[in-house]
Amino acid sequence: MTASAVSRDPLAGVGAEIEGVLASIGALRDAALEVVDQAGGRDLCRADLAALRAPIEALLRRHEGFAAGAGIVAAPGVLADAERWIEWWWADRGSGFERLEVDLDADSAEFYDYTTTEWYREPERTRRSAVAGPYVDYICTHEYTFTLSVPLVHRGRFLGVAGADVLAQEVERAVLPELARRDRVTVLVSGNGRVIASNDAAFAPGVVLARQDAARMLAPAGTAPGLPWALLERRV
Amino acid sequence: MVTTVRARTLFAPLEAGGRAETVARQLERAITLGLLLDGERLPPESDLAAQLGVSIVTLRDALSSLRERGLVETRRGRAGGSFVRAPLDGPAGLEHRLRALSLHELRDLGDHRAAVAGAAARLAAERAVDSDVAALREHAARLVPATTLTERRRADARLHVEIAAAAQSPRLTREEMDLWAQVGDLVWLPVGPEGLAAVAAEHDALVDAIERHDPEAARLLAEGHVAAETQRLLDLRVRLGDA
Repeated sequence: MTASAVSRDPLAGVGAEIEGVLASIGALRDAALEVVDQAGGRDLCRADLAALRAPIEALLRRHEGFAAGAGIVAAPGVLADAERWIEWWWADRGSGFERLEVDLDADSAEFYDYTTTEWYREPERTRRSAVAGPYVDYICTHEYTFTLSVPLVHRGRFLGVAGADVLAQEVERAVLPELARRDRVTVLVSGNGRVIASNDAAFAPGVVLARQDAARMLAPAGTAPGLPWALLERRV
Repeated sequence: MVTTVRARTLFAPLEAGGRAETVARQLERAITLGLLLDGERLPPESDLAAQLGVSIVTLRDALSSLRERGLVETRRGRAGGSFVRAPLDGPAGLEHRLRALSLHELRDLGDHRAAVAGAAARLAAERAVDSDVAALREHAARLVPATTLTERRRADARLHVEIAAAAQSPRLTREEMDLWAQVGDLVWLPVGPEGLAAVAAEHDALVDAIERHDPEAARLLAEGHVAAETQRLLDLRVRLGDA
């Protein structure tokens, strides 16, 4: 037997890293809910969200190199001066932080309707955190991306989500060394059934696992707490 | 501006002329996609150069090339600065643009678009999951209610960009966005009111093939769709004659 005898759980490292980002998003959520509390009964405005710039930047700094962008999005109608709003920043190596600007005018042809995205719908429906993707994010990162999101719920009312983007290649970087140590074919699959990473070229990133013939030879080999991902390996 | 600073810094050619051209194309794309609006004032040169990660000299070269193409106007004085001039959303302006293109260029652009759209459709049929197909249906349905050329082009472009995203390929997605920025509203110039339903039907058939997970059918439909568009543009270009 070679390295596989001593190999560790490939999901342990990346699981902890994602858990860390989700915890930071939790802190951002708390900061957002505090803004809501401080407003008392007064209408919330875009200007109130300026207070979130610091926790957003703190998140991006703490998870530098792993989280590519972070912020909050407001559910339609929550802010008095904007039907929809995205307060999302991304880290640009060298020039600090840049705010994401998208067209939120529902009448516009370029309208970006975030309420239809997996990372918004999931926490809205389940009231729990979500790890959406991987998907091609042509709005913000322009890369193959996961979006982690946490619902903002105040006195039972859904106000939006707090979240962060993690590039798929960062996840791959975190799991590939452990996958490569294994003798058996091992595949990491996302919640939507796509291959995230594997140690076998037959399972390339992005393919739908169930549609690969070779998938019939795989059996469940593990999960990570709080992550909708599954590890599968070739049956003996 | 939704930027691809990262991609641009990674892949931009190193020599100065190429860099200015890359910046010009980036700005042109933002204008054509409607991210920068007609009449909008661009940030001061020093800010914009810093934002794009290029020198002021490079930015000035890029702006001067955009000025030549009529996409940017620079006004002097206190209320001065560089202002966006969005491409005319009208047949006259578009015909002018079409006349500036040779049949050879149009044919080549059509070939490139067909290659990208065909590959994206094939991979999307292999890799799309149910939620992707639902999103494609939603975008396909936005074409018929669109009234102006620009609205139609945007609905059309968005569907094709979504197909490339469903292919799980950031590169093909960027390529679709680039190509749409180049071809812009021209695609819809030769399509009369009666042609709208036909194009919408082609889109529906393409999404059907993606939903059936039939890669070859999806590729052929996408290639045929672009080939028909190219054919219409070539016909119109011939009819317009020389400038």
